[in-house]
Amino acid sequence: MKILVVDDSATMRRIVENNLKTSGFEDIVQATNGVEALANMAGIELVLTDWNMPVMDGLSLVKEIRSNPTFANVPIVMITTEGAKEEVIQALKEGVNDYIVKPFTKQVLLEKIEKVLEG
Amino acid sequence: MDVKYINPFINATINTMETMMGLSIEPKPPYTKDKLQTQGDISGVIGFAEKNVSGSVVLSFPEETALKLYAALTGDKVFQITRDVEDSIGELTNIVAGGAKTVLAAQGLTFNISIPSVIVGKNHTINTKIDSPIIVIPFQFDRLRFVMEVTMKVDL
Repeated sequence: MKILVVDDSATMRRIVENNLKTSGFEDIVQATNGVEALANMAGIELVLTDWNMPVMDGLSLVKEIRSNPTFANVPIVMITTEGAKEEVIQALKEGVNDYIVKPFTKQVLLEKIEKVLEG
Repeated sequence: MDVKYINPFINATINTMETMMGLSIEPKPPYTKDKLQTQGDISGVIGFAEKNVSGSVVLSFPEETALKLYAALTGDKVFQITRDVEDSIGELTNIVAGGAKTVLAAQGLTFNISIPSVIVGKNHTINTKIDSPIIVIPFQFDRLRFVMEVTMKVDL
């Protein structure tokens, strides 16, 4: 499974990638913002994206993916510090499949991934 | 500054260290700061603002503490402050500020937070234009220490 991890923090990309690789997900692509993410969407089967990023934020990325017929059905999990109820609702309305508020554990990350892949 | 605005930052720091790194950290008694100089070698800074709220939160770490936290977060051992260590301190500060923001929003106090800035150097200073006391909360884990500095002005 090819997974795209989008976050402007190298530390957070590394944490997510470490968690994925130690759980058997080997094919990981990284991007630092929404524009880079869109350029790397070919073959991607799951997107894990931050919300607040420079150049193009995560919510704009979600809108772009959902409006592109080629990628519209790719599952997206948002991983962000934006934890207010209104923000979660907004992200879900834009087409995010699930939502993780930082800080998170490896267990939560894997449970959410499993859930969206089953869905 | 009302303690109800400070506790969410303390709790977010404890929660972040526990959840992301499995570290049990202990807050020490807070005090007010009377000089600009920080106590750390590297500091993450986030400002927040809304029409009736302004302030900032700083997480300031001695080099040894920052390197240990970086290793706990990423699994990588480094021996000096690198760009990656700077990034990790910025991200930790971001997660703490975001956690506090969420709790305060649920209490009716909403504001936006800035992207994190990171300052490196011995005896560095951080100036603030906020006309409000700076509360310093020391934290300890194992034999390592770091401090959080919070200042917040709320006009309700």
